[in-house]
Order: sequence, then structure tokens, then C-alpha cells
Amino acid sequence: MEQTELVKPDTLEDLIQTLHKLFESDSVNVEEVQSIMESYDSKPHEWMKYATFDQYRYTRNLVDEGNGKFNLMILCWGEGHGSSIHDHTDSHCFLKLLQGQLKETLFDWPDHKLQAGMLQKSQQVLLENQCAYINDSLGLHRVENVSHTETAVSLHLYSPPFQTCRTFDQRTGHHNSVKMTFWSKFGERTPYRSTASQVPVL
Amino acid sequence: MVRFPSMDDKCAVLHLSRLQLDDLNLDHLTDSKRQQIQQLHLTYNRLLLLPTSVCFLSNLEYLDISSNALTVIPDYIMRLTNLKTVVAKNNLLDESSFPKEFERMQVETLNLSGNRFGEIPVQFLKMTTLQSLSLGGNRLKNIPAEIKNLTSLELLYLGGNLISFIPPEVANLTSLRYLVLCDNRIQSIPPQLNKLHSLLSLSLHNNLLTFLPREILSLVHLQELSLRGNPLVVRFIKDMTYDPPSLMELAGRTIKSQNLPFSSCDLPSNLNHYLNLASECPNPKCAGVYFDSCVRHIKFVDFCGKYRLPLMHYLCSPQCSSPCSSNPQSDAESEDENSVPADRLQRVLLG
Repeated sequence: MEQTELVKPDTLEDLIQTLHKLFESDSVNVEEVQSIMESYDSKPHEWMKYATFDQYRYTRNLVDEGNGKFNLMILCWGEGHGSSIHDHTDSHCFLKLLQGQLKETLFDWPDHKLQAGMLQKSQQVLLENQCAYINDSLGLHRVENVSHTETAVSLHLYSPPFQTCRTFDQRTGHHNSVKMTFWSKFGERTPYRSTASQVPVL
Repeated sequence: MVRFPSMDDKCAVLHLSRLQLDDLNLDHLTDSKRQQIQQLHLTYNRLLLLPTSVCFLSNLEYLDISSNALTVIPDYIMRLTNLKTVVAKNNLLDESSFPKEFERMQVETLNLSGNRFGEIPVQFLKMTTLQSLSLGGNRLKNIPAEIKNLTSLELLYLGGNLISFIPPEVANLTSLRYLVLCDNRIQSIPPQLNKLHSLLSLSLHNNLLTFLPREILSLVHLQELSLRGNPLVVRFIKDMTYDPPSLMELAGRTIKSQNLPFSSCDLPSNLNHYLNLASECPNPKCAGVYFDSCVRHIKFVDFCGKYRLPLMHYLCSPQCSSPCSSNPQSDAESEDENSVPADRLQRVLLG
């Protein structure tokens, strides 16, 4: 395995360049990526252009396509905005707080034979600059901005990139596949006209 | 909707946040400079009072004094006749903190989330030009019926309070697009909410709802509905308590459903009044009426082919069956006639 000289990224651009290097090979060193993402001190003026809020729901704003190896995006959460319980389609998911706080609730995969509700496994509040990690083998999660006074902004990295995932009904464990959409790409608004069965979600 | 303050005209926006200010002196500003300022940010300071010098910014339209230690908003704020937006989140304000005639200011956006309001101040309920009211994360115990006066309201954020009941008067807010009632103690939604024709997003997560009123289906513009964290029933409850109707009710039902003729001088006034209270059974195939005695009937309706939501309506009796099913007690019932088409309610967050 290559040894990469890793310097703490000063700017968001530095972080993106470092991530490109880290994802050059096909294997992902989860601890290294998590550590590098955590070590970038969030500077709002560097990511403001990607951070557009919607009154009614959180937005997903694509920042970088990682040479096809990953998707890097910024999510903007208004007060009270939250996601469904969802999986990550066999990909790595890194989540770093750039502003505010997010609550992450972990769930086990539902047991379809039991047809019962899903009980939460654990919960944590992610603080500014912290970086969490999840993949399907660790379970499912719901992410929420539970604050009624503050917005939240988070930086997400998914590798390999994916366009659909499953969302779960906590009451029954039933799931649906959903297509994921972007509010903006590279700072430009990209409206999505949804068709019948497609529901935009994280 | 961009949340960051406008940077278009630097001279019109004054940023004085995070400066550990416990007071503010703007005496050094010329009159013309003072009149230029349209936005003032004084967040994350140590203000106990709104500085008097703020009131000489005669063209001020936007004031953000969030995250200070304010206990009162003094009367002299009323000098700011152009003020349209007041943001004072995370302070120590309560229902006695505001000027008694604050409604004369014609403020359009008021965000007072994260304070100590135990009730909505009387003055706020007279602000007929108010478009956006946020009182999230306070201690509100109820929503007063006078909320109906806020006919310009487009956003009402009341998440994170102690509210257990939604008055039907909320239905008067026909301009309302975004209604947030999450993280409260609400047990039921009034059916009159279907009159909120402009509603685009309804946030009800983390409450005590076991079902929703059937009328919610008529909110045709609704795109977002959050219901997670409610004890919504997932299975049809077979044991519905039913109080048999009184003799007076049975007589009243017979008179109404048989259209028995009578004139007001035939009956004492209390019985005339009673007969006028008859409600029609919502089952369109049933011509019956009921007065006080009815049965709560829950049906599961498919939303967008994805989620089954328990919707409730009243029927005149347990024998009154739905037009769609042969057995109203059926567990596997879903109502195709009334299932919500997939292009509506795009994002129902159930879990």
C-alpha cells in the first residue's frame, strides 16, 4: 500500500486535493480519510457558495466528483429538518459537520420475518468539525438537525458514488428505493423534475 | 432561499457580531451614514438591553440581536418605523418583554425561537401584516384561537414547545405555506386543517398522534409531511368503543333521515337547536346523520404506493360500511378510491 504524505488541509481546496490522492487506489483507508476530513477546520467563506438552504427540506449540493471515485457534497439543514432512515448502497459514507450540529441515530437492518418496528441502536450528536463514518455492514442511520434555532451544514463523502438508496419506515421496517437528487452542482442550481414514484431524499 | 446576509451594498449592512459588546455607541456616525444602514447584526454579544443608539438608524429594515442576554425589548424600538424583520433568537425574552403596542410597527418577520415564551403575546396576535412567525424552542402551552387574526402568515414555526392541542382556528390562516408543529405533545389534528389550501409543508414529527384525520387528503398542494416519532397505529384496531346513541339521538336521527316535517313552533327551542346540530355521515353512500354518538373509524390509505397511513373519520354507526370494502373490519383493507396519487405528497417522512 502506498504511503501518502498527509498534511493537515488548510483550505477546502486542500482537502479536496488530498482526498483525490487518498482515493487514487481502489482501496480506502477509512481511518485516514476520517482523520483528514476531521482535521480540516471549517471556514464558511470557503464553502458558502455551495450552501443554499430550502425552507421546507434539507438540500444536497455537489462539490466534487472525485474523478469518479467519490462524490463530495454539502448538505444544508434548516431548523427541524431530518432525513429518513436510509442505507448507503454498499458504499463508504463520511459525514463532517461544517456548521451547527446534527443528531445521528443508528438502526440495525430490520428483520423481515418479524415484521416489527425498528428500534434505535444508538444515538450521537455530531459537533462542528467532527466526522462520522458509516457503511451498510454497520447498519442504517437517520440524520437530523434537531435545533429549532440553528441551521446546520455538513460535508459528505460517498465512495463509490451512488444515485439510489433505500429508505425505511421505522414503524414497520418496510423499505422503498429512492433516487437521490442534487439541489445544486458545483455552485449552480440544478432543479429536478420528479416523476411519479421518485422521492428526493438523502 | 439564501440565509446569509446580503453583501450587495456593504454600506447598508453593519456587522457587529461576536465583539463581546455590552453596549453600543454609534455617536461617531454621521447622520447620512446612519440613514444608510438597512441591516444590523449584533449577534453573539453580551447585550442586556437593546442599545438606544440603534434607534437612530432610521432606515433600518433588518435587525438581528440573537444570542445575547435580552430580557426586554424597550418601547424605543418603535422609532424604527421601517423595521420589517426582527430576529432575537436565544435570549431571555418572554410574553411580557415586548412593547404593549408592538403591532403598530408592521413588522413582517419575527423570529423569537429559543426564548422563554410561555404564551404568544397578545400584541403578536394583532399583527395582521405578519408573514413569518417563529417561536420554536420556547415553553408555549397552547395556540390561542386569536391566531386566526394573522391572515398574512405564510410561515408558522412552533416546533419544540409544550403544545397539546391545535385549535381549529388555525384553519383561518389561508396564506400559510409552512406549518411546523414538531416536538410537541399533540394528540390529534383538527380536520379543519384541510382548509389550509396554500400549505406546502407540514411538520408533525415527534408528537403523540395515533392517526390523522381523513380530511388531510384534501391538502392538494402539500409536498412535505413529516410524521416520524408518532405512535401511529399500524394495525386496524378491532375494539372501537362505541357509546350507543341516546333515545333523543335516535329520535333526532329518525326525524332527519326520514325528513319528517315539523315546524319550529311544534317543538321547544332546545329541541329545535338540537335538530340543527345534525352532522351528515361522511360515508357518501349513507344518508344517515348523527348528533353526539358516532364511531371512530380508521382506514389505512396508501400514500404514493409507499406508505400506509391511518386516517380517521367518524361514521354514524359501526354498521355503516365504506363503499369500497365488503367488510369494514378487514385488516388488510386499503382504499383505492382514496389512495393519494403518486404525484402528490412526494415526501412523507414516516420513519
